[in-house]
Amino acid sequence: MATAEFGSLDEVGEVELMDSEVSAPVRKETEMSARDVSVWFGKRKVLEGVNIDFPKQTVTALIGPSGCGKSTFIRTLNRLHELIPGAALAGSVLYEGKDIYDRDIDPVHIRLKIGMVFQKPNPFPSMTIRGNVLSGLKLSGMKRSDHDDIVEQTLTSAGLWTEVKDRLGAAAGELSGGQAQRLVIARALAVQPHVLLMDEPCSALDPASTLKIEETIRELSKDVTIIIVTHNMQQAVRVSDYTAFFLAAENEPGHVVEQGATTEIFGNPQDQRTLDYVNGRFG
Amino acid sequence: MTITFDAESLPALQEQRIQHPWRKKTPVFTWSVVLATLIPLVIVGALFIWGDIPGALLMTVVYLPLQLIASGFAAFATRGKRGILDSVIIVNAIGATIFSLVILISVIGSLIVRGFSALSAHFIYQNNVYVSPSTPLEYGGIGHAILGTLLIVGISALIAVPIGIATAIYITEVRGRAVPYVRFFVQAMSGVPSVVAGLFVLTIIVATGAFEQGAFAGGLAYAILMLPTVARTAEEVLKLVPDDLRTGALALGSTRARTVFRVVLPAARTGIITAIILGVARVIGETAPLLLASGYADSTIVNPFGGPIAAVPTYIFNNVALPYPDAVARAWASALVLIVLVGILFVIARVVGRGRLSSK
Repeated sequence: MATAEFGSLDEVGEVELMDSEVSAPVRKETEMSARDVSVWFGKRKVLEGVNIDFPKQTVTALIGPSGCGKSTFIRTLNRLHELIPGAALAGSVLYEGKDIYDRDIDPVHIRLKIGMVFQKPNPFPSMTIRGNVLSGLKLSGMKRSDHDDIVEQTLTSAGLWTEVKDRLGAAAGELSGGQAQRLVIARALAVQPHVLLMDEPCSALDPASTLKIEETIRELSKDVTIIIVTHNMQQAVRVSDYTAFFLAAENEPGHVVEQGATTEIFGNPQDQRTLDYVNGRFG
Repeated sequence: MTITFDAESLPALQEQRIQHPWRKKTPVFTWSVVLATLIPLVIVGALFIWGDIPGALLMTVVYLPLQLIASGFAAFATRGKRGILDSVIIVNAIGATIFSLVILISVIGSLIVRGFSALSAHFIYQNNVYVSPSTPLEYGGIGHAILGTLLIVGISALIAVPIGIATAIYITEVRGRAVPYVRFFVQAMSGVPSVVAGLFVLTIIVATGAFEQGAFAGGLAYAILMLPTVARTAEEVLKLVPDDLRTGALALGSTRARTVFRVVLPAARTGIITAIILGVARVIGETAPLLLASGYADSTIVNPFGGPIAAVPTYIFNNVALPYPDAVARAWASALVLIVLVGILFVIARVVGRGRLSSK
């Protein structure tokens, strides 16, 4: 099944995902995978040999202490990494069977299919709430006529519709931090990405907004493949199907210590370091 | 012993009036301030009336030190040693503010005093044809020069603003390899003396016969002066736009061009308008380039290529040194008009630049 249209949001997927805490999810078709991804900033290697598969319509959490390269890794998945001066990369990132770093691939096309939500809410201040939701369509040159429907559907998916439906023409700057983050999620959804990358989307938010965004993530994963970086272990358990644990020893590049079903990583970790980290003994 | 808070033992809350507890002052404080203000004023006032000392000297050499000492005593009396440094800084800051205000007011004041006799409604819209330096002030005006200034500044803005903003975009958004060189040249350009800009246009454009002296040639000379101001200010403003917005737009599948024009420039709109204002303010009073590039005329000209044209600065230049009091008054009044013109342009730019999204 390809990415479903917004109309099928309430359709139940073939696996009851909320049960993931009880039983490991059934293996699904792979949407994206990283193969031997290593990353440098200048001469300094920050990430070494990362291999992860991201199954379709699941949530994968990337956990690990600060500075282990999680955020750097997630930015390699939609080619935002290369915008940093001095950035370098080896290995390949496969999406739809092709390496997104092939020279005939347009990064703009990749970023359209693989959207991203950042740590800090970044709504466009010069636009209204409605304008922000539709900005992706304008910026990417997509031609869609049903703008009203898109605004309502994406804001509903992001859990913001009831709060803003009467003031869609207001400046985006009037929203609180949690609302702005949900607006940014709606904005990312409006271009109908197949994959949504989230780089600590809740780290600047209050518990109520965090809960709402977690619900949104669970709901969205019926249609979209989600990869989320988080420092919050409980959050990883609540929202993710799979987890990859990153770690970097002092002055060494980060790497994946252990990965697998979230229930396994948190319930029965094979590596002592994973056990220590998920139990809050360091990091 | 545990302290219990018994709500019922408190008297019922009365309706409260607005209060400002932090404004309450002790009598010592009030008296210190009053004395520290009055004593220096009285001493300087007495010296001014009975002593034979020039006012400016009195203010700088006598009043400011006296005020500093008096404020120091007042601060010491109310706050002890810590207060002295505070009072020195505050008195100096207020003194500096008043000093610059005095300069500004005396500039505008002298314009009004010397040009007032020439100011009238027809002075704004009539032109200078049939008017000689000895013609009474009931006739003639600078309408032609105001129009000329607007025309020349408009032409230069049309040329310099797009190029200046494009330069800023190259430096901050494109970030190409030539950035250090471009930045260096822009900086070097801002040091070009205005008369050189005029000479450049005179030799390259006018002397070669490409265009004759006039509003277009004057606009070119002004554009050379305006460009670096616009480019550097716009660069500073674009640098203030957070990178989050750029990556955010790129993550939505935007091209770099769309990111710049739909996200970065709108986010910096007020700043870009400030850059344009500063560019216009930089050139509008320049006289030397216009003497060379656009010449002078007494008639009203609207065609940018229609030969020599007057502008307010060249009108002032032609009149201020004449041995006729009325001509000099006209020049002073024109200077006042020029300042008001700049003020009007600023207000218009501010109104245009006000965000549409400021409220619902």
